[in-house]
Amino acid sequence: MIELKFTVNSEEVAITVAENLRLLDILRDELHLTGTKEGCAVGECGACTVILNGEAVCSCMVLACQVQDAVIETIENCDTDPVLQILQQAFLECGAVQCGFCTPGMLLSAKALLLRNPAPTEAEIKKALEGNLCRCTGYIQITEAVKQAARELAESK
Amino acid sequence: MKSQKRKDAFAKLTGKCRFLDDYTVPDMLQGYIIYTTIDRGWIRKINFPAGFDLQEFTIVSASDIPGKNIVPEPVNDQPFMTSEVVDNFGQVILGIAHPNREILKKFISLTRIEYERRNAVTDTKECLDNEANQFGEIMHLKHELAPTYNLRHLWKWQQIFYTQHQEQAYLEPQGMLAEYNIEKEEMKITGTMQCPFFVKDAVESIMGKAVKNVVIETSEGIGGAFGGKEDFPNLLAGVTALLAWKAQKPVKIVLDRKDDLLITTNRHPSRVDIIAIMHDQNGFISKIDIDYRLDAGAFQTLSPVVLHRGILHATGGYNIAEVKIKGSLHRSNTPPNGAFRGFGAPQAIFAMESFIDNVAHRLSISPLRLRQLNLLKTGDQLPTSQIVTENHLQDCLDRVVQLSGYKKKFTDFQEYNKTNTVKKGIGLALGLHGGGYTGNGEKVLQSRVKIVLEKNGMVNIYVANVEMGQGAHTTLAQMVNSIFKLPPEKVNVVIPNTSQTPNSGPTVASRTIYVVGNLLQKLAERIKSELGFADLKDHIAKNQNSFPQSFEEVFVPDPADDFDDITNQGVAYHDFSWAACVVEITYDPDLYQIRVDKCWNVLDVGKVINEGIALGQVYGGVVQALGWALTENIYKKGYPRLSGFTDYTLPASLDIPEIKVEFIHTNSPVAKGLGEIPMDYPAPAVRNAFLQATGIMINELPLTPERIFAAQGRSKK
Repeated sequence: MIELKFTVNSEEVAITVAENLRLLDILRDELHLTGTKEGCAVGECGACTVILNGEAVCSCMVLACQVQDAVIETIENCDTDPVLQILQQAFLECGAVQCGFCTPGMLLSAKALLLRNPAPTEAEIKKALEGNLCRCTGYIQITEAVKQAARELAESK
Repeated sequence: MKSQKRKDAFAKLTGKCRFLDDYTVPDMLQGYIIYTTIDRGWIRKINFPAGFDLQEFTIVSASDIPGKNIVPEPVNDQPFMTSEVVDNFGQVILGIAHPNREILKKFISLTRIEYERRNAVTDTKECLDNEANQFGEIMHLKHELAPTYNLRHLWKWQQIFYTQHQEQAYLEPQGMLAEYNIEKEEMKITGTMQCPFFVKDAVESIMGKAVKNVVIETSEGIGGAFGGKEDFPNLLAGVTALLAWKAQKPVKIVLDRKDDLLITTNRHPSRVDIIAIMHDQNGFISKIDIDYRLDAGAFQTLSPVVLHRGILHATGGYNIAEVKIKGSLHRSNTPPNGAFRGFGAPQAIFAMESFIDNVAHRLSISPLRLRQLNLLKTGDQLPTSQIVTENHLQDCLDRVVQLSGYKKKFTDFQEYNKTNTVKKGIGLALGLHGGGYTGNGEKVLQSRVKIVLEKNGMVNIYVANVEMGQGAHTTLAQMVNSIFKLPPEKVNVVIPNTSQTPNSGPTVASRTIYVVGNLLQKLAERIKSELGFADLKDHIAKNQNSFPQSFEEVFVPDPADDFDDITNQGVAYHDFSWAACVVEITYDPDLYQIRVDKCWNVLDVGKVINEGIALGQVYGGVVQALGWALTENIYKKGYPRLSGFTDYTLPASLDIPEIKVEFIHTNSPVAKGLGEIPMDYPAPAVRNAFLQATGIMINELPLTPERIFAAQGRSKK
């Protein structure tokens, strides 16, 4: 067992878990944050993407000990986070949601992109989302939505 | 015009929408399966690992089944579980449940099955080339008008086309939760599925008289399906139910991605042999003979239905006077293939559309000209003798040629390619897709729908058709509300539950909007005229005592739609959707790599209810087709099995070309089928663009660098 302290969605968490748990298990099973989805368990699909210390990562590829003192953001942060909310609105308006299983991970990859690059080109958006598989949309409306969100963020500043 | 926003989007955008793995109930056990890992033979011994307390596990095998060990399907030939004979890789041997997932997985990984192996057929060509592998009923479709050719000037040409397996690759893996209520003797299943009433039949079959009542409900979110959650859920629900019944505790099974890839249904591999006879090499096809074969896998299950749709789409959008089509299933030792968007039509259309371009290439006629010569027009007959009543395919073709600048690019690229190493290519393909069940299917189904007007002014819609991402629940509610004209949030589709939802049939065959939606709209119109209201909100408020009120409607097909299942003559589909596509590619001969640059799509799907959702269907379908055309490949002979999305390569954001979509004839009163047609035509368009770029005829998918490398070697010799 390992004692961990970290921050999830601005809340401090202190928890004792088995060493072999993945961040994905901690989020879903221990903290009941089930917005983060498991699609493949080996870092290939991106459905479990969260933001870890400012970077989009597959939470299925992060072991418990790696989150010591980390700052983590999941889809549940959308209740208060203005960037996620602008992204959500853009996804809604552009029709970027179909089955919704990839959507939380997609939003967090998009947010991580906008954090480091507030005015991405279409190619940069596609590059940032390349690790998030979507089988429904063909990515067209998702790429549109991220473009629209970037525009709106720029206008709101 | 702005489209109405999806009703399910908010829950999905906040992570609050519950998919199957997000469900937990008190005392729930984690379940899993152990399946066969050889292709054919016999199970000789099962060795459980030492160091585990077997008392902690619930284990079920075929011998625990109180009902029938047969999955109900159009052909009842697949067992839920096997205890001895192995017919394919991936047959369930045991269901196992334990309170702790980690212990369960460890136990399973250490369990050893001893087998005796027999020779197996797993290679697609080995299966389809050999007539000895044929099984099931052979289907024939013959149509002969007066011969249009002069016997002295015949040109006859034969080509054979192959397509590979394709994995649906819904992002949410298969999963089921079974809860057994001992007092009520009721089995409740919650799952990610397309067809709740199919799952009900399956659970009733496996449980027999051991349970009194079976209730199926879909999970709130269904993370994609594309046909992959049409029939496999029957099997998984059966095994999960059996575990819950034996354990007398709730059991949840969610498949790991690797297992989902390896053992669930895929698109049928095909072999389509086309022989055409042309008069005097003028490009006018007078007669065609098609031998359409599908690799069904080890069992027939629903394959005859796929085969049927395949032969009914085999001549594509062309008017051919003499047609002879033979359809047959072939048996292999791979897991049974099943439903996948297009359902036999993409394979047929790939062959026909590729054949047209091969003929054009061979006769040095432009592919556009050849299509125009042979195109179906109003008054022509389909091979089923059904008369074409609209000239919309011609309109799709004309429009896509205009939008894409096809004619100019075709000649520009020919010039460009003379002096450039990297080649450019442009390809055409046509698509058509019959809406709803084939032939007499809808007559047999007799879909029922229900609308309840609640006391509080809400309108609840009860249909068995699921929201699996395609936007059905938003679109269906919109169709009802086009009559009621309430604020959109007042009209909702209730999550399907077989104890309260009437059976409006499965969520398949581009039928949800076309059959169920149009039926709901008819019911809404009836309600309006029966109640005689001008304003529904007002009417309910003033007549509180008469509500809630429930209304039902049953689907009755047009009595003129007669279809003979034996001769395959008559009206197989009341309405067809039509499409034409142009694809532009760049081919790098150093890398043997095709890059799709642009894809134009013009479709006639009748009335478009929600443009945003409709566009999403086309984009998604096109990209699935591009994956099938270029990269998606389930290696068989001589290769290790797949392990995930690293070796099963789906299109990712960086692979997506510019995709343009235009809907025409949208002023139609009827919303026709939309879900499948975008899967039908893009793959041959890519393949035809490659032929234009290089002059190399490849009659197989996918067009991987390896296949192109081999073909280039052959064409140089």
